[in-house]
Amino acid sequence: MSIISIKNLTYQYPTSEEDVLRDISVEFESGKFYAVIGANGAGKTSLCNAIRGFIPHFYNGELQGDVLIEGRDIREWELGELSTKIGYVFQNPFTQISGVKDTVFDEISFGLENLGVEESEIRSRVADIIQLLEIGHLQEKNPFELSGGQKQRVALASIIVMEPEILVIDEPTSQLDPQSTEAIFSIIELMQKKGKTIILVEHKIELIAEYADYIIVMKDGKAVLQGNADDVLSNEQAIELGCALPQYALFGIEMKENGMDLGTIPLTEKKAISAVQHLLEKRRVTS
Amino acid sequence: MNKIQQFIVNLYPTTKFLIVLFLALSAFITPGYIWSYLVLPICMFLAYLAGCFKEFSNLAIKALLLIVLFIFLLQAFFYPGQEILWQWGIFSVKQEGIQFALSLTSKIVAVASSLLLFFRITKVKDLVSSLEKLGLSPKVTFIFLSTLQIIPEMQKSTHVIMDAQKTRGVETEGKLMTRVKAFVPILSPLVLGSIASTEERVLTLESRAFSAKGNKTSLYQVNKTKHDLKVRILLLILFILLIVWRVLS
Amino acid sequence: MKIKRGVKHDFTLIAILLIPIGVAINFVGAQIVNLLKLPVYLDTMGTALTAMIGGPWIGMATGIFSNLVKSLLNPVSLAFTPVQMAVGLTIGLLSMAGMFTKVWKVLVAAVIVSLATTIVASPIQVLMFGGATGNSSDALVATFLASGQQMWTAVFSTKIINELIDKSICLLIAYFIVIKMSPRYLSKLNYGSIFIKKKAS
Ligand SMILES: Nc1ncnc2c1ncn2[C@@H]1O[C@H](COP(=O)(O)OP(=O)(O)OP(=O)(O)O)[C@@H](O)[C@H]1O
Ligand SMILES: [Mg+2]
Repeated sequence: MSIISIKNLTYQYPTSEEDVLRDISVEFESGKFYAVIGANGAGKTSLCNAIRGFIPHFYNGELQGDVLIEGRDIREWELGELSTKIGYVFQNPFTQISGVKDTVFDEISFGLENLGVEESEIRSRVADIIQLLEIGHLQEKNPFELSGGQKQRVALASIIVMEPEILVIDEPTSQLDPQSTEAIFSIIELMQKKGKTIILVEHKIELIAEYADYIIVMKDGKAVLQGNADDVLSNEQAIELGCALPQYALFGIEMKENGMDLGTIPLTEKKAISAVQHLLEKRRVTS
Repeated sequence: MNKIQQFIVNLYPTTKFLIVLFLALSAFITPGYIWSYLVLPICMFLAYLAGCFKEFSNLAIKALLLIVLFIFLLQAFFYPGQEILWQWGIFSVKQEGIQFALSLTSKIVAVASSLLLFFRITKVKDLVSSLEKLGLSPKVTFIFLSTLQIIPEMQKSTHVIMDAQKTRGVETEGKLMTRVKAFVPILSPLVLGSIASTEERVLTLESRAFSAKGNKTSLYQVNKTKHDLKVRILLLILFILLIVWRVLS
Repeated sequence: MKIKRGVKHDFTLIAILLIPIGVAINFVGAQIVNLLKLPVYLDTMGTALTAMIGGPWIGMATGIFSNLVKSLLNPVSLAFTPVQMAVGLTIGLLSMAGMFTKVWKVLVAAVIVSLATTIVASPIQVLMFGGATGNSSDALVATFLASGQQMWTAVFSTKIINELIDKSICLLIAYFIVIKMSPRYLSKLNYGSIFIKKKAS
């Protein structure tokens, strides 16, 4: 059974002029890595809000269709209950600070304190996460005084320490350099290996090609294209829908158009090299 | 920190409160104004022991000097009374007025300096933590701690905005009208800026399970020590003695 | 959707987050007044704002918290907590009654709020502080007393004059700031919808 099931979801914020989510249907299976991509304003964040229940519980307005979390209607879940089930790291790192803690260590503890976890366990779990995210040098700092990138990592740490089954992560690397971005992705992958379901909004397509199992392309509030990562990223149609493809896929498509079909559309560097080698060998054999 | 200082600072918040409560109550139980006034130097001495003499004294002067002075002036001149001590034209200082002012201000001084001492030797964080144990809602704690973080942040923003508005030609000096006109362009970005982020901060709190049901834990703990009990017993004995003395005399 | 209001429903998270902001504005607003050397106090700006959009209970809570925080530095102000509570409560109730939708209504509201605070503040000032407050308005009290008035009338007259000036300015400014708030934000507060401009349809 799907852990999250979205059927014909349509939604409009009370203050927006038109629907921001239109007739979306997606099934999310437990333990898989989902990537949501699309242009600015496509509705990616709104979709995350709907999964986390902030739509309709916080934003109000009418939700049409169904969002089911573990088979139960989102309208019946309470926001407090969902906080242990779905962890949500959102886009803007500057507002993801509790505003009542003096140090990063305490900030990361805040969620566990609210859940009533025992003190010694909190300390060890927070220490582990701090190590995992390599933010030990920040732990005594005031969260207000961190840079955007540091805040982003603290925000991620504050959520994964709560060990939710589902992680919804909205553009977690927007403030980070390529190296830290890689590090974040490997942490997200680690979470997936621990059996968590990942729903990630991200623009960096090369990284999506490397990590995601399934991709949802959004445009104007619609899920215009979805499917296994390999299929979506090798689909020329995706370009027309405004979705950037990894450079290796573009290379494969270009080759094909010029009469040099690689047989597959490669998504990563490794696959591209092997496909080209394969093609070269085939040519040698036939000539 | 020396030993005595540590002893005072490390007392449990409610114990500290009982100390100042005892001081404040004693001012009302003891007749006359002398003891009540003495509460101030006692508090100063305790503040000295706790290592915050200067802070305490400065604040005490700021909080008390003017109001005490004005009470004296108003009461000395305008309290209905017969016994005139000093006369100047239609104005006269009367004995009854002075008497009334003495008894009123002495109580104010006693209560205010006790409370001031309490807030000087008790960290807000410790206080709310101990109150939470007594059943105070975590929401109240949240509001308190958040307020104490927001005020300095907002003060910083004020200066940034004031400078920005000055470079944009908003006059902040000169005639009254000019200065009045400067107020809104400074205040309104401050307000609108701080409420703009509250929407997402709600989501932050929800994501951190702030509204989850059930008991919360707190990493920050203040604990009672054996000293607390001793101090409480001592206070109780003093209080009983005070009552007994008052009833018998 | 019908909005539920009242003590049980008004303390939503977004409204709770408004309280610290209101308290901070009370302080910082008064500081700006000082920096600009204006002849008013305006130390209830924040309470007025939160009461207008958050309702009477949130307004009252802002008042209480403001005075608690203020008393950390000046315990004398603790005695005047009921005054701040009255400010929040009355402004919130007036906001519910739609009194902050036009400038003339705001001025009428200022008169009502001034009366309410004067009624609450005067007994505290007379009974607990012998008519004094420790700031410059005491000179006016003295003048009234010298002209032969009783303590109660002197304090009451001084208070009402001060309050009328202070609250008119305070509420007008709060009103101009509130109508600049985004509908997106106002729509999430139980009492915010009154201030959302009706779209010309
Ligand atoms: N709280 C809100 N109230 C009203 N309209 C909103 C709200 N949040 C978003 N919108 C609107 O909904 C549409 C979709 O926005 P959303 O934030 O979901 O897009 P997005 O794909 O996440 O964009 P981005 O890449 O910029 O993050 C936009 O037109 C936006 O203006
Ligand atoms: Mg977004």
